[in-house]
Amino acid sequence: MAGLRLSKITIALLLLLLIVCHVGPSMAVLFNQLPKTLIVTATTKSGDVLHAGEDKFTVTWALNTSLPSGADANYKTVKVLLCYAPISQHDRKWRKSNNDLKKDKTCQFTVVKQDYSATGKHEYTVARDIPTASYFVRAYALDASDTKVAFGQTTDANKTVNIFEVVGITGRTTGIFVSAIVFSAFSGLALAFFYVVENKKKK
Amino acid sequence: MAKKSLEVEAEVEVEDEGDAAQFKMPVDSDHKATEFWLFSFAKPHMRAFHLSWFSFFCCFVSSFAAPPLLPVIRDNLSLTTTDIGNAGIASVSGAVFARLAMGTACDLVGPRLASASLILITTPAVYCSSLIDSATGFLLVRFFTGFSLATFVSTQFWMSSMFSPPKVGLANGVAGGWGNMGGGATQLIMPLVYELIKKIGSTNFIAWRIAFFIPGVMQTCSAIAVLMFGQDMPDGNYNKLHKAGEKHKDNFSEVFKHAVTNYRGWILALTYGYCFGVELTIDNIIAQYFYDRFGVNISKAGTIAASFGLANIVSRPGGGLFSDYLSKFFGMRGRLWGLWVVQTLGGIFCVILGKTNSLAGSIVVLLLFSLFCQAACGLTFGVVPFVSRRSLGLISGMGGGGGNVGAVLTQLIFFHNSKYSTEDGIFYMGIMILVCTLPIALIHFPQWGGMLCGPKPGYTPEDYYQSEWSHHEQQKGYHTASLRFAENSVREGGRSARGSGHSKHTVPVETSPTDV
Repeated sequence: MAGLRLSKITIALLLLLLIVCHVGPSMAVLFNQLPKTLIVTATTKSGDVLHAGEDKFTVTWALNTSLPSGADANYKTVKVLLCYAPISQHDRKWRKSNNDLKKDKTCQFTVVKQDYSATGKHEYTVARDIPTASYFVRAYALDASDTKVAFGQTTDANKTVNIFEVVGITGRTTGIFVSAIVFSAFSGLALAFFYVVENKKKK
Repeated sequence: MAKKSLEVEAEVEVEDEGDAAQFKMPVDSDHKATEFWLFSFAKPHMRAFHLSWFSFFCCFVSSFAAPPLLPVIRDNLSLTTTDIGNAGIASVSGAVFARLAMGTACDLVGPRLASASLILITTPAVYCSSLIDSATGFLLVRFFTGFSLATFVSTQFWMSSMFSPPKVGLANGVAGGWGNMGGGATQLIMPLVYELIKKIGSTNFIAWRIAFFIPGVMQTCSAIAVLMFGQDMPDGNYNKLHKAGEKHKDNFSEVFKHAVTNYRGWILALTYGYCFGVELTIDNIIAQYFYDRFGVNISKAGTIAASFGLANIVSRPGGGLFSDYLSKFFGMRGRLWGLWVVQTLGGIFCVILGKTNSLAGSIVVLLLFSLFCQAACGLTFGVVPFVSRRSLGLISGMGGGGGNVGAVLTQLIFFHNSKYSTEDGIFYMGIMILVCTLPIALIHFPQWGGMLCGPKPGYTPEDYYQSEWSHHEQQKGYHTASLRFAENSVREGGRSARGSGHSKHTVPVETSPTDV
């Protein structure tokens, strides 16, 4: 009887261990194995400062013409993203670059996603939720199963040239400012009021 | 002079017997409630309970309102991991000294005014959290908001003033646990409010700022409720009682001396840092951990993080009850063993959490970790009341402050910069818990024993508590409350020591019998 209970506990513990230690296998797409077949340019120049919600820039992409024809046979969609430059990734683990594209956090904002054509162009107004940081632009070519198969970017391999800046909105509206002052003052006044009442009661 | 005070005492006693009828709840001779009716608002006892746990809860909600929204705040303010780590440390460091000061404040002006004042003074920091635009601003608002965590002391003090020894352990445990729960509830509340505001049409960087008004308003309202409906003691507020009775005012330097020279207080301060301190650390880092490591969205990360803090609804009170239960059979030695075993198990689950790679597994381990970690908090305060009778307030403050020091240390060492990944930080923190829990084995009460050794033969609780008073003071009779406590604590000797034992009651967690 005790032996049966013990083996049930053992099985339960083993299952728990299995759940805990489970590591799923993955077919990883690695960045250093992606061919750089797209040439991507943007109207932003090195050191430009763009304001979120107001300024715009145009990004252009084209297939490298020196490649043999048919190189883009499996390209179905193009996804253009705004990516963090190394200086904005420093000491910020949530923006870290990773060779395994599933874990890569370099490019977090989509500029445009559209069907693939050998050349393309898009005018983008910097969205209001883009944070203050330094960026470059990268385009991925995706196949029919939405897997990344090629890329191109506005900067070099070390991500040092053509880096531009975005200044995000502060989020501090006048309404918030006034409310914070009013509510804080109210708290102080409430405290003062009760102290006066307490002192009166003492007498 | 002595004759006059005896007369005053006699008069007051006669009045008391008639007054007992005015309370809805059954009370003892001190007018402290002898029962605990959780779902009642009976004035003044249960009302005080609900006011104190809820206002403490609101302070926790505010102090940990930022962590679940960090994914948005860190982008709005361009924060680095170091900035976030520094602010996390600041959020718990303010209360280290504030908790020590709060005990004294309660003695002077009463828990009602002391807690409400602190809460209202820190509320502007919560409202101004919506105005910050730099890492420095972020650090400052978290620092000042964190001061409000000192209301832990006023909560325990208030419960000890309202509830009789048999019920005070339970009242303290539930008030403490339900307050701590705020650290979990906020991880649900803040993302919910944030998403709601975004849905109404706000941008993310505006929405999180508006969201901070919710904890601010909660805090303001709870403090006003305490002032309007609360009462320091069963018979009235402090200003009324100070005029009427005579309380012997103890000497602060003596109380201080007896607190800091008692090594048990220091050991418990250290070990509380590795259950409560770890709990505060986890409140600060866990939402971001799930968001970044497993890619869940803000709301989901918040929900998972919330489950950790919300476990307090049963785990901390459970720890307190378990401590009392062990004491029934094994006395103080049982309480100490229970504390060591439960806190060590908490450390083991923390180690496992750092090594778990799957989302589902992490959630399961997190829940187990939270149960043991928080139960250890409850078990700690099952031992603290016995360390000293004369300096109870200060020993409790040391323990409470030690908890915050532990939170500062663990965040400073493991989560402050990019040296360790968060999962490695959690793993090493678990190891540190295991190491820093070992000193419990060094605690020895000569009258009851410790984990490894039995009691000193012939040494009684009276001897222990009397030793805190000099002969001169004993001649004046200042130590009589300590003697009463010693009699009531006979049960801590375990089954064998309970000769003519009458009281099956949970042992007292009264406040200092004398003013400091």
